[in-house]
Amino acid sequence: MAERPILLAAGMAALAIAAFAGATQILDTYSMNVLVRSLLYAMVALTVDILWGYLGILTFGQSTFFGIGAYAAGLVFMHVGFSPGTAVLALAAGIAIAVLVAAVVAWLAFWHGASELYASVITLVLPIVATQVIFSGGTWTGSSSGLSGFETFDLSIEAWFVLAGSLLAVATAAAWVVMASDAGRLIVAIRENEQRCKYLGIGTARLKSIAFLVSAALAAVAGYVFAGYAAVVAPELVGFVFGTELVIWVALGGRGTLLGPVIGTVLVDYESAQLSGDYPFVWKLIIGLVFVAVIVALPRGFLPILGDGLKRLGRWVGLGGKTTARTATLVTAARRTVATASDGPAIRIRGVAKHFGSLPVLRGIDFEARAGELVSLVGPNGAGKTTLMRCIADGSERSGGTIEIGGVSIGRLPPERCVALGIGRKFQMANVFDSLTVAECLQIARTRIDRPSLVRRSTELALPGPAARVVATTGLDQRLATPARLLSHGQKQALELAMVLALEPKVLLLDEPTAGLSKAERMLIGGILTDLATQERLCILLVEHDLDFVREISSRVVVLHQGRLVLDGTVEEVVGSETVKQIYAGAGHHGAPAEAAR
Amino acid sequence: MTALLLDVVTTAAILFAVASGLLLVFGVMKIINFAHGGLITLGGYAALITTQLGLNPWFGIPMAALFGAVAGTLIERVVVRPLYARPLDAILATWGLGIIIGQTIVLVFGREVQFAAAPLGGTIDLLGESYSLYRIVMVPIAILLGLGIALLLNGTRLGLATRAVIMNEDLARGLGIDSTWVRFVTFALGSALAAVAGALITPLSSVDPNMGVPWLVNAFMLVLVSGTSLASLAAACLVLGGAQVIVSSLYSPVLGGITIALLAAIILRTRPQGFARG
Repeated sequence: MAERPILLAAGMAALAIAAFAGATQILDTYSMNVLVRSLLYAMVALTVDILWGYLGILTFGQSTFFGIGAYAAGLVFMHVGFSPGTAVLALAAGIAIAVLVAAVVAWLAFWHGASELYASVITLVLPIVATQVIFSGGTWTGSSSGLSGFETFDLSIEAWFVLAGSLLAVATAAAWVVMASDAGRLIVAIRENEQRCKYLGIGTARLKSIAFLVSAALAAVAGYVFAGYAAVVAPELVGFVFGTELVIWVALGGRGTLLGPVIGTVLVDYESAQLSGDYPFVWKLIIGLVFVAVIVALPRGFLPILGDGLKRLGRWVGLGGKTTARTATLVTAARRTVATASDGPAIRIRGVAKHFGSLPVLRGIDFEARAGELVSLVGPNGAGKTTLMRCIADGSERSGGTIEIGGVSIGRLPPERCVALGIGRKFQMANVFDSLTVAECLQIARTRIDRPSLVRRSTELALPGPAARVVATTGLDQRLATPARLLSHGQKQALELAMVLALEPKVLLLDEPTAGLSKAERMLIGGILTDLATQERLCILLVEHDLDFVREISSRVVVLHQGRLVLDGTVEEVVGSETVKQIYAGAGHHGAPAEAAR
Repeated sequence: MTALLLDVVTTAAILFAVASGLLLVFGVMKIINFAHGGLITLGGYAALITTQLGLNPWFGIPMAALFGAVAGTLIERVVVRPLYARPLDAILATWGLGIIIGQTIVLVFGREVQFAAAPLGGTIDLLGESYSLYRIVMVPIAILLGLGIALLLNGTRLGLATRAVIMNEDLARGLGIDSTWVRFVTFALGSALAAVAGALITPLSSVDPNMGVPWLVNAFMLVLVSGTSLASLAAACLVLGGAQVIVSSLYSPVLGGITIALLAAIILRTRPQGFARG
């Protein structure tokens, strides 16, 4: 069962188009003339909002894609001539070039390890380069004065107005459907915590690239229509200043809302046309002042403020009751038939080494673990336990050696591909999506298995047995609608464990899952872990400092010391080992050695 | 050949002067000050005012420093301080400030291109080449600026506190260093440096309300590939500035204009730490 906001969106879009058609009877020609441009700019602002407001990519380069669409029309109509055939050709070329350029930019901007700032920098370089390309085109591109006087579509101003309005309405409605769907939730999750998404097996770089390409194509369509309408293209359309103006409009309207940027752009651009004739510099100064004030004091922009005000007003006059947020209900996921693994080890580590510059952190680590084993990694601080976990979960981390999961080498695979091989990693600090609810966090974790829909929001949360058990025994099933940031520390740890189990991993990596938990919580988690190993046949690697806990639940213990594996044996062997006593006593480690040796 | 070499060195010196203030602010505060372009423009107009008042053109430099420091003080207090936790928003807010500075200048001075008097004119014979004396003088000025910043960071108590904040702000605060004060002083100093750079470049170009913007982008890219070190900034200015000069003179000035931005983007893609640490 799923909700279908698509009908609602189609209805709203149809209503908006009808309103635009009706407005042609009221508005004078001059206003419509200005508004056609504003509506098309609003469509580009919408793509900036999707990228920045929803996905967290601050882009200064959407102007370039708008300009590419516009120049495709201008160049074709100027040099080839205008006919229905060339009109289609120009549109196709504009979209194709925009998508191609976007693909290059995406390749540069989104990669494993790229920072937010770097992506923004690339989108800043794009319009600067594009402007210079147009300048160097000479008479062919019209250089700094652009192209004008080409033949174009012969439409009335009313028709252009309705066309631009319809495009904007359809684009906004489509964006709304996507943002309200499972995919929209995923987009927010990527903005919130991209690292956690990667370790949930989600190819965030790929998803960001796809969003970027789609946004580029949309902007190119808007640019194409603009050139067809204005019959003029100029280098300013591709430039950095227009790119930043788009960001300003989105910020003023309200990033992360769809209507805010659309309304903001139309209002500001329309007013600019009215006022800049009389007071051009004062108007720009005012926009600058308001923009700075909004960024500093109202980062959410004007629309959410307005929305809050209306809600309060509604409550005050007794209208509109509480809005009940719908939360997905728990169901048990159908057990996936997993090809029964061969008798080989679930994980095999051979000669793994890691060094930072000349400093070795891990040297020649060799060990194996089978399904159903719960192997604890122990050792003093700085022994390399967490580093080893990192090397297993991310193929690009280690400096040497091989790691195989179920007989398949992880090579240099990024974290999301390692997850596909069957690795699930829980971080040392509880790492969840703070602004999402418990149910939503778990749904994000299921993304890899239950493909998110682009048009629907699912109302069911299908969890595999082990994850469902963690959720039930820790009381999270009572708090499915609670935002994750409001959970206690222990519940966050449990939620993250459930999220990792929702991945249905074969090898579970747990980095101090009980740190900071009470004794009771620790017992609970310990029981769950041993069940997972014995009943669900998971292979669990556990980093732990609490040696009592280790002794209770482990089937084997691996001791690391100064980056080397010094002992690999049963709990009794390790506890009775002279080497271990020396390591802990020799390192002068507080407390723990006595317990270990007891 | 000699002329090309001199072009490379002097261009690097100019770029260094323009980028050093941005580097200082980025290093300490981890935010990109997009008002840097506006502050460069402000410095240019400080030089113009000096000319219009009929004062010695050299006086434009301290005048610019004063303008920049006052503007920087205001900006840090009102706009930048609330945005430390939101670095991407800080970029936007400072870009908005750049617009405000630019439009205010337009309202006061008009849009037209104007010229400030150069402190030094004429040419000098160097290695058998007759070369602009002012451009040559930019080299010792840039070196002095660099040494001055290095001395300030390494030889004073404030510098020690600043370096502590750069390395680990939380720890520095825990040790009783007033990191808010350090940030405030740094921002004012960085703004003053931007304005001084603006005054320094006016004899080489004209003064207009948007003069800072092209410099901003190049300075920004240079700082990103340099990390937080003055030495790597100098190296980046020489290498990328040199590439710009060579591309401009051998191919086209249009391509030269985007050389720094393009090369820096590619360097960061292949080697995220840029010029930092060798």
